[in-house]
Amino acid sequence: MFFEVDGLTKRFGGLTAVSGISFAIARGEIVGIFGPNGSGKTTLLNLIAGVYPPTAGRLIWKDRPLAARRPHEVAALGIVKTFQNPQLFEELTVAEHVMIAAHLKLKRERGFGRVATLLEPARHDAALREHVERVLTLCRLIEVRDEAAANLSYGNEKMLGVAMALMCEPELLLLDEPATGLGQDEIGNLDGVLRDLRAHGTTLCVIDHKVGFLGGLADRAIAMHHGSKIAEGPPAAVLDDAAVVEAYLGRRHA
Amino acid sequence: MRAMRPEWLWLPLFAVPLVLHNEVALTVLVFTFILGILAVSFNLIFGYTGQLSMFHAAAFGISAYATHLSMAHLGVSFWIGMVIAVVLVVAISVVVGTICFRFRLKEFYFAIVTLAFSEMARLVILNWGSFTNGSLGINLTAKPMLWLPGGLVPVQGTRMWYYLALVALILTVFVCARVVHSWMGRSFAAIRLNDELADTLGINVFRYKLISFLVGNAGAAFAGALYAFYLSYVEPGYLSIEQSLAIVAMALLGGREPVAGPILGALVLTALPHVINFSAEVRILVYGLILILTILVLPRGIMGLVTKRRHVL
Repeated sequence: MFFEVDGLTKRFGGLTAVSGISFAIARGEIVGIFGPNGSGKTTLLNLIAGVYPPTAGRLIWKDRPLAARRPHEVAALGIVKTFQNPQLFEELTVAEHVMIAAHLKLKRERGFGRVATLLEPARHDAALREHVERVLTLCRLIEVRDEAAANLSYGNEKMLGVAMALMCEPELLLLDEPATGLGQDEIGNLDGVLRDLRAHGTTLCVIDHKVGFLGGLADRAIAMHHGSKIAEGPPAAVLDDAAVVEAYLGRRHA
Repeated sequence: MRAMRPEWLWLPLFAVPLVLHNEVALTVLVFTFILGILAVSFNLIFGYTGQLSMFHAAAFGISAYATHLSMAHLGVSFWIGMVIAVVLVVAISVVVGTICFRFRLKEFYFAIVTLAFSEMARLVILNWGSFTNGSLGINLTAKPMLWLPGGLVPVQGTRMWYYLALVALILTVFVCARVVHSWMGRSFAAIRLNDELADTLGINVFRYKLISFLVGNAGAAFAGALYAFYLSYVEPGYLSIEQSLAIVAMALLGGREPVAGPILGALVLTALPHVINFSAEVRILVYGLILILTILVLPRGIMGLVTKRRHVL
């Protein structure tokens, strides 16, 4: 199996944020994780990305226990996460953000040989810049490439997060509420970018509570409530599931 | 700054001793160059990686002592002594840096812990009288030797020191600029601006903080050896808190970027006591005032007045 979550649990003091969750992700698919606010979706992604250690349970990456402990180690293995609230480098431009994110690509391609590039950084960066242009084009950010991140619209800020993650060349991309706070046009844009990504072979795990957006995008859906998985299957079936409707709308509507 | 290759800006400095015959002014410039090395290397840790290290004066002072002690006890030349001192400083920095960065000390906490290590080093030197002559310091009679067309000659006199210090400074700026304008410099910037995001993008925050700390302290060690032998004297005051603060003041006053910015701060703070005659107490007061005014009025330092925003790319 490409990626597996097995009995993952996270307790913060007395609060159980994620409770015994198990699921699997196959290479090349888009998995959507639904759930109302506070259902533990973001914590689940943070556990996978190495932001916190789990209280119990295992993560299995390509049939081996995920050995990485810190986010940068998880990212180096090919699992990269975006942030729910855009995290940016204030004062830098869009292109500079993506350039910084080229770190892992460089590390993979050159290993310790990258130290030698310090002798001639300018010549070396030219090749990288082409790749930056490609990622910016893919994410539809090319027109704002020289804009300071502080001047971006919210939608573009979130897209920049995706662009940076892409520059890490992830095999599994974890997206934390990419559509939240976006307008209808921006959601359409995001949807297009994510479909392009899948076409390029990236596996996606997306959490969101925008049912319309994620229901249309995902190949498979998982619904969470109070830190537990309450349904799994094709998005339409999961969204019709009585337990899911109850979690979202309350008992009377179920 | 970009269009005109900044390297050319150094050239006129080589002509200065030919035109300028004022001994005091040349001495100020020699001190500026050596302290410039200290400020530029500090800026790598502080300005680029965002870590307020108070260990810089310690690296500077430890190296001054270690260079002399290697020469006196191992019988090596100044240059070998300096290499030994740099290696020693880097080794100590690995220990200090690993402790600070493993425990993820940031900002104020990092400054305080590095200051504590700095004071430890100063107290060891102050009290290890048999080796360091305690608070009296040591007069250094040996001179660095250079292979010049005329044979092996000792570096002495303001003019020779001027050229040695200038070349050393250019070397430091060159190395720092190469680091800063590369993928490594981008990792430093990422850590300074948002270390959580840097971590998620696969940047090993611990490793690059440590590298920045080591490279910066190696620069301080380089400056320490030169400074002590130019002055022909070394004393525990090299490692004092006042020295650390003076370094911070130079970097802030000169400006974080470009790489050579802090040299301007070194110039102003070196020249000031010569232009206006301060007593030691008043000097601290003036340093403090300059720091406050810079932070309030010139957050990007003197260089911020003349340069536009730097581009990482």
